[in-house]
Amino acid sequence: MTKPPTSRKKLTRRNFISLGGGMAALAGVNLLPAMAKVLANPAPVQAAIVAAPPMATSTNIHLVGTDGWIYLPGPSSIVGDTPPRTVYPDPLAPGGRTTYIFGFRNVTGLSSTAVNDQKGKAQAPAPLLYVDQEADVRITLTNLGLQVRPDLVDSHTIHWHGFRNAIPLFDGVPEMSIAVPIGRDFTYYYKPHDPGTYMYHCHFEDVEHVQMGMTGVVFVRPAMNTPTQKYVYNDASTAYDREFVIFLTELWASAHYDDAHIQVSDWSEYSPDFWLMNGRCFPDTLQPAGDPLTIPGQPVLQYQPISSLVKANAGERVLLRFVNLGYQQHAMTLDGLSMRIVGKDATLLKGLGTTNPQIRNGADVSYETNTVYIGPGESYDAIFTAPNVTTDTTYLLYNRKFMYLNNGGTGTGGQMTEVRISPAGTLSPQAAPNT
Amino acid sequence: MQPTRKRYGLKLKGGWAVTVLLCALVLSCAPAQTSRVEAAGLAQATTPSSGLVCTTSPDASFTLTAETGYISTPDGNTIFMWSYSPDATSFQYPGPFLCVNQGDTVTVTLKNTLPEDVSIIFPGQQDVLANGIPSQPQYLNGELTSLTTVAGKNGGTVTYSFVAKEPGTYLYESGTDIEKQTQMGLFGGLVVRPSGHPNQAYANSGSKFNPSTEFTMLLSEIDPDLHQAIERGTRFDITTYHPRYWMINGRSFPDTIADNGAAWLPTQPYGALVHMQPKSASNPDPALVRYLNVGMRNHPFHPHGNNGRVIGRDGSALVGPIGEDLSYEKYLVLVGSSQTWDVTYDWTDTDLWQPNTNPIPVTIPSQQDLTFKDSATWYSGSPYLGIQDELPVGVTSYNECGEYYHVWHSHALNEAANYDTGFGGMFTLQRIDPPSPNTCP
Ligand SMILES: [Cu+2]
Ligand SMILES: [Cu+2]
Repeated sequence: MTKPPTSRKKLTRRNFISLGGGMAALAGVNLLPAMAKVLANPAPVQAAIVAAPPMATSTNIHLVGTDGWIYLPGPSSIVGDTPPRTVYPDPLAPGGRTTYIFGFRNVTGLSSTAVNDQKGKAQAPAPLLYVDQEADVRITLTNLGLQVRPDLVDSHTIHWHGFRNAIPLFDGVPEMSIAVPIGRDFTYYYKPHDPGTYMYHCHFEDVEHVQMGMTGVVFVRPAMNTPTQKYVYNDASTAYDREFVIFLTELWASAHYDDAHIQVSDWSEYSPDFWLMNGRCFPDTLQPAGDPLTIPGQPVLQYQPISSLVKANAGERVLLRFVNLGYQQHAMTLDGLSMRIVGKDATLLKGLGTTNPQIRNGADVSYETNTVYIGPGESYDAIFTAPNVTTDTTYLLYNRKFMYLNNGGTGTGGQMTEVRISPAGTLSPQAAPNT
Repeated sequence: MQPTRKRYGLKLKGGWAVTVLLCALVLSCAPAQTSRVEAAGLAQATTPSSGLVCTTSPDASFTLTAETGYISTPDGNTIFMWSYSPDATSFQYPGPFLCVNQGDTVTVTLKNTLPEDVSIIFPGQQDVLANGIPSQPQYLNGELTSLTTVAGKNGGTVTYSFVAKEPGTYLYESGTDIEKQTQMGLFGGLVVRPSGHPNQAYANSGSKFNPSTEFTMLLSEIDPDLHQAIERGTRFDITTYHPRYWMINGRSFPDTIADNGAAWLPTQPYGALVHMQPKSASNPDPALVRYLNVGMRNHPFHPHGNNGRVIGRDGSALVGPIGEDLSYEKYLVLVGSSQTWDVTYDWTDTDLWQPNTNPIPVTIPSQQDLTFKDSATWYSGSPYLGIQDELPVGVTSYNECGEYYHVWHSHALNEAANYDTGFGGMFTLQRIDPPSPNTCP
């Protein structure tokens, strides 16, 4: 194989970084002057979930990949077949939880001791991330390994699903570039030019790692945002007051049990038992947001920190960012309210303009609906206006595929939540998504 | 229920690696730069290594033979199939992509060698004639036996004709014993090019594409139990349908990235590698990908690395009544059963990262500290397009000239598998070569 001779080759990364994995590698930048200027800016310390103030020029996020346990409400037991075995609740599950997962945690700003302490404490879904258009975004992934399966030496990756013009090294597909082994770090770099709703997930042995829970939402805030007004895209028609991510996945209890109990799954037999919204099943979807570092009112939900309860004041414009990272298609219905679909897959729903055929400022192709039919790997941005109620009023948001509205075959559960509208002025401005 | 895979042969772990190596060798064939050469009723005379292989005819008349054959899957299985073959002597799956021009009177003569009646329906075409009279649903004693006029079993013939009125992407498929015969493989694609605009998908100038980068993603599923039942002459209950193989253009990954006409896939002639260059002054027009779903499931198909612009669906351009653009972008196209989607793709090197003048502002740890899965990679060793750099000793690279590779696959990830083995199935690669001139072979 011939390689074009370049001066760059004399200065390979392998030469200048032999400091071992870990954040210590960043100290190596002085050996590469061209990069030093940019990296001299120290990484700002971030809160656990909030990514950056409006219009950050640089955002650094630190995630870890590991395993953990979550709680799903359901029947007294689910028996998997061939061989018959009780796959739910998992007898190994600690603290009243039920189900083994792989997942991520956001450890931005934590000490290295605190970072390592998160091994075995993955959350579902992956932390909600949001960054600003045109920022230099660096996401460092540390693979902490699996607490329950020390024999399983799986690497992990981050794939930012939908990122345009991706560089293979940062696209997270292990066969197309690299993956991160246990005990190592890798920093993914992105310069997002296109606002909208995306998702991210591990792409290492993806059918397993995605099902096991290494999936979450990332969205890009548009340059047009101001401290007092938020938009989905750089278009005034997409203004909103409050936003909620509605992240849909399914969970096949047998596969989760088998991963905890050193058995393998035949993925062509995929047959989920639970349908999750933001990592929880109804009615847990209504519980308040939490932080995995803090024990919540319902301790079993410590590692399922994202609430799906939609709250707004009358007259406010509410953005629902629908994202599906299951393997099935879902039909999310908002009963009694009409939504306007303003974007799909991180693109404004306008046709190309006539003056500049590169810019989507042409015909309006947004539309009204009360049901969002969404396939795996799609995102839909829906805005509704909260009706002018004078007393607190509740609407339901649920999967119209009714066979998915149960928890392991019992009750009314699954992908369902409430939209609670209060009289104007009741709620203070929203501090963070899904709160 | 556990799978019954042992009946279909052993899983060949080693065979997978061999196939990948073969594919990598095949990738050294550059895509044909020649324009489509059309030959009478035959596949184009110069078959490109990747991209749509058109079967054309000067008078738009074609003969298809319904016959039996076998295909292979990357995990070593062999599957009994039925398909429409463009000539009577060799079997292929799927049927050929028939390319015609808008306004052509298309004639398709079906010869049937199968032991039961067979037919062809042309969804999206109007006023289809069979043997010169309107094709009609067939009934026997009040029961529907076929959606259209048939070619009788064991040697029957029927001739269909229609005027290809509207440009676009269409399926053709069996209209007889439909849930079985389409599953067995009796289907293909039909491309109707707009009058006077061979470089456009539709009449509107916004549908222009680079004709050397025209691709199909013909999506299908296979339940091997059904095929085994047909081969043995036993009954198959369609309500137990459970696909185990998921295909693009009749192949599963990694066979999808092998060349068109690869020698070791004699009955599966169509690859699905998307081979293109960045957008530039000399390459201004996008690639066109024609998605067709002939399966019984909807397939959520995800091209990594870039959004596609949806310009048409089901043979209808996304243009408004006064010519306004109604296209939209998707990073995932949910191709419904029987739908077709026409989507264009640009690769735009927006940030123009260069190692010396515009470096990517991040440090990269030693490659020795990272995982190269199965010690093989499509990675160039460098994040920069067009540059190759060293890889750790012992890592095999399929990269030739610093090109980028992205995966394109079903995001129902259980479909990105060959039976129970991941990194397979409805899955292919996009290869982005550095801009010309480059050192790519
Ligand atoms: Cu993805
Ligand atoms: Cu992917």
